[in-house]
Amino acid sequence: MRRSLLSRLGLLICAIVLLMWSLGPVYWALVTSLSAPTDLVSASPHFFPPHVTFEHYRQLLGATSSFQGSAVQSVWPQFSRALVNSLLTSLLATIVTVALAAVGAYAFVRLKFPGRNVIFVLVVASLAIPAYTVMIPLYRLMVSLKLIDTYFGVTMIYVSAFLPLALWLMRSVYQSLPLSLEEAAWMDGAGRTYTLFKIVLPLAAPGLIASAILTFLSAWGQFMVPLIFSPTLATKPLTVLIPEFVSRNYVDYGLMNAAGILTIIPPIIVVLFLNRYLVQGLMAGSGK
Amino acid sequence: MTSEVVSSETASPVKADTPRTFNSDRWLGLAFVAPIVVVMGFLVFGPVLVTLWDSLHRVDPMRLGTPFIGLENYRNLMRDASVLHAWFNTMAYVIFAVVLETAGGLAAALLLNKITWGRRWLLAAVVLPWALPPVVNAIVWMWIYNPSYGLLNGILQSTGLISSYHVWFNDRTTALLLVALVHVWRMLPLTAVILLAALQSIPAELYQAARLDGAGPFRSFSKVTLPLISGGLAIALSQSTVFAFNLFDEAWILNGSSLDTRPVLVQVYMSAFQNLRFSYGMALSVLVMFASLLISLVYVLRVYRETRYD
Repeated sequence: MRRSLLSRLGLLICAIVLLMWSLGPVYWALVTSLSAPTDLVSASPHFFPPHVTFEHYRQLLGATSSFQGSAVQSVWPQFSRALVNSLLTSLLATIVTVALAAVGAYAFVRLKFPGRNVIFVLVVASLAIPAYTVMIPLYRLMVSLKLIDTYFGVTMIYVSAFLPLALWLMRSVYQSLPLSLEEAAWMDGAGRTYTLFKIVLPLAAPGLIASAILTFLSAWGQFMVPLIFSPTLATKPLTVLIPEFVSRNYVDYGLMNAAGILTIIPPIIVVLFLNRYLVQGLMAGSGK
Repeated sequence: MTSEVVSSETASPVKADTPRTFNSDRWLGLAFVAPIVVVMGFLVFGPVLVTLWDSLHRVDPMRLGTPFIGLENYRNLMRDASVLHAWFNTMAYVIFAVVLETAGGLAAALLLNKITWGRRWLLAAVVLPWALPPVVNAIVWMWIYNPSYGLLNGILQSTGLISSYHVWFNDRTTALLLVALVHVWRMLPLTAVILLAALQSIPAELYQAARLDGAGPFRSFSKVTLPLISGGLAIALSQSTVFAFNLFDEAWILNGSSLDTRPVLVQVYMSAFQNLRFSYGMALSVLVMFASLLISLVYVLRVYRETRYD
């Protein structure tokens, strides 16, 4: 009895350590974003903001704000543009990727056509190609097509980057679905396409959600691609805008952490409400 | 698309292995994967071939013409001090990342597998860092590492582990470790989840049998758990290696182009987009691609084996 109590205490301590490791930095960013600039440069760190202030958030979201008595230019115009850009490119990439993967993976699992295995192996193997191997030719291609700094260009690059994983995931989902349901539909005279859209896809909904989540989070966090393909605020996302707050006369950590906290709201919502699908996706995506 | 053609049943048994094979399957299949072939062909495979080809030429926007120079780019890469420096840094990242992610991920997976209450929430907390944008992670950690006001210095000093504040990025080994740590913070969840899936597939009877045979917790871990999660472990290892190989965001945000912490991909970016030596950067990226493919061979072979027989 004593031993089990001891081992439960041990588990509890391990769980607390794990929680601190995972959530500590996020908590610290939150504390920083709510602290007054003067408290941020005090001698020792405060684990709770001594004077809670929304100054940094006002600077991001408000029309004007004041910093130590003087008016400070709000960054809302840039921030809102980047927010819209992040949302649009991520959502568009997610829709296109999931649609292509849902239909394509079905073909790879259930239909026999020439080149099936070769195409599949090549597409999945492209997961191991670093983005920079394709970046330079891609850059010249996009320049010649005048697609630099356009939603279409950035979205399509995201699709090509995240499609292999979504395809791999959807394929494992279809493989686990029983063939008998589809066969029953064919017996009733339904065609392949009808069967796919009316019977298979609804059954594959958890897999579709999982691939949508993985694609959205990957696109939302992308940095390398927009660093090159989104030079201006026409398509520049939050991930590229926020580090630029450094290049002012001083590094505004309060502002950067506040912007970071706002940026991680969508991923946090996903983890809080859709974690089941996310974990399933990660498990399936890694070859289970 | 050709959906109407398909729904009119032309059931001619071309292949006998499945009871119902439609003759039009091949066309429908091709139609279904055509968009994928187009997207991947134009945006991935085409550019890869161009990169391979151009890396054998001198492609340089500042200089006229693109003469064929054979393997000269590759030869120069072998002699370039900053490139070798970058390879060394990347190797250090891979070693730090793989060791820490595997050890930490295994510990987290064992804990998650054992814990009964609140598992759902603990799992959510563990997965969270993976879901966050790497850039934001790097910024949050940059503030933690801040030499004057950072949390790391504050905690270490208040616990008496250091006597005065450190400028962490002054020391190369420490800098590499700290950059790797940010990467580990983000990628450890993936290892943990993969290993958790492997642990959950082990039947409980095996542990009972091991206990009946007189095996203690360490013996049953080494004789039952480890062999049965070896498949998952192999996948987790190859994933951590490939991701550490592709480390870019964290190093770029935390320490910019500094030679001390510059990984290979930042070197590619510097060569191609800052120094505008396109084909030189391309040659380096080709080497990264082959190294990356070689490491994920475990993965690719598995896919290949699976697709070959069905």
